[in-house]
Amino acid sequence: MKKTPDSLADLGRFSEPALLILISLADGPKHGYAMTQDIEAVSGQKLGPGTLYGAIARLETRKWIEPLPADDRRRPYRLTIAGQKVLRSRLESLRTMARVAQTRLADA
Amino acid sequence: MTASQLLRLYPREWRKRYGEEFVATVGDGALRFQQVIDIVSGAIDARFSSDVRRSTTSPSQQGEATMTALKAACGRTQLRMTTKDGLIGAAIMIGVTFALSALGIFLKRSGSAELGEALTSISFSAALVVSMPFTFMKGQPWRAQAVICGGTLLILTAITYVATLI
Repeated sequence: MKKTPDSLADLGRFSEPALLILISLADGPKHGYAMTQDIEAVSGQKLGPGTLYGAIARLETRKWIEPLPADDRRRPYRLTIAGQKVLRSRLESLRTMARVAQTRLADA
Repeated sequence: MTASQLLRLYPREWRKRYGEEFVATVGDGALRFQQVIDIVSGAIDARFSSDVRRSTTSPSQQGEATMTALKAACGRTQLRMTTKDGLIGAAIMIGVTFALSALGIFLKRSGSAELGEALTSISFSAALVVSMPFTFMKGQPWRAQAVICGGTLLILTAITYVATLI
C-alpha cells in the first residue's frame, strides 16, 4: 500500500492508538480521560495510560493535534488541520482496503 | 501502586509537560496489573524515543542540549590527551612502522612475498591504529579500544593481504 510521507504507519506500534485518538478528537477537543472513554465506546479498546500519552506525544510532535489551555488539571487536545488531513487519508486507505477484502470474500 | 508513584519513572521534562494531566487521567487510586505494565513500558518509551523527547523540549532547548553535549565531548578529549601522551603516541607510531616494515622486508626475502608486501603496505596505518589507545582513544573503556583497534587492524590486514593476492 502506498505510504504518504506523513503517514500514521510511521508511528509503528503507536499507529493504531494514534488513529483512535485522531478519530476521538474528530468531533471536538477532549482531554485524556474523555479520550479513553470515547475510544472504548467507539472501538471497544481501552487504551492504557502509557500508550495513550505515548501516542499523544507523537501526534503533538508532528503537529497533528495541539494542546489547549488546561482546564483544572486536565488538558484538552484538538485536531489540527494537518491532523484532519492525515485522518482523512488514513480513513480513505482503510475504506479501499475494506472494499478489496469484501470483494475477495465475495469471490471466494 | 499509584500513578503518582510510577510517574517518577518518566523523565523530568516529560513529568513537567504531561505529569499533572497524566495523574488526572489515570486517577490516584491503586492500579491494575495491566495498567502498571502499560505505564512502565510508557516510561521506557519516554526515555528512549526521540519522538517523545521532542514533544517535551522546545527547539531551543534541543539545540542547547546538543551544544552542551558536544562541548563536553570536545572538552573531555582535550583534557585527556597531554603532551606526554602525544609524544608516547608518536614514538609508538614510528616504532611500530619501522618494526612492521622490517618484518615485511624480512618475510619478502624469506619467500613469503605476499605477506611481506601486505605488512609493508599497512605498516604506517597499522602503527597509527596501535598508537590510538595513547592518543585519541585515551580514557575510553578498554573493550571499546580493543574492538576499534583490533577490528581496524584485522580489516586492514585482510584487505591488504587479499589485494596482494589479486
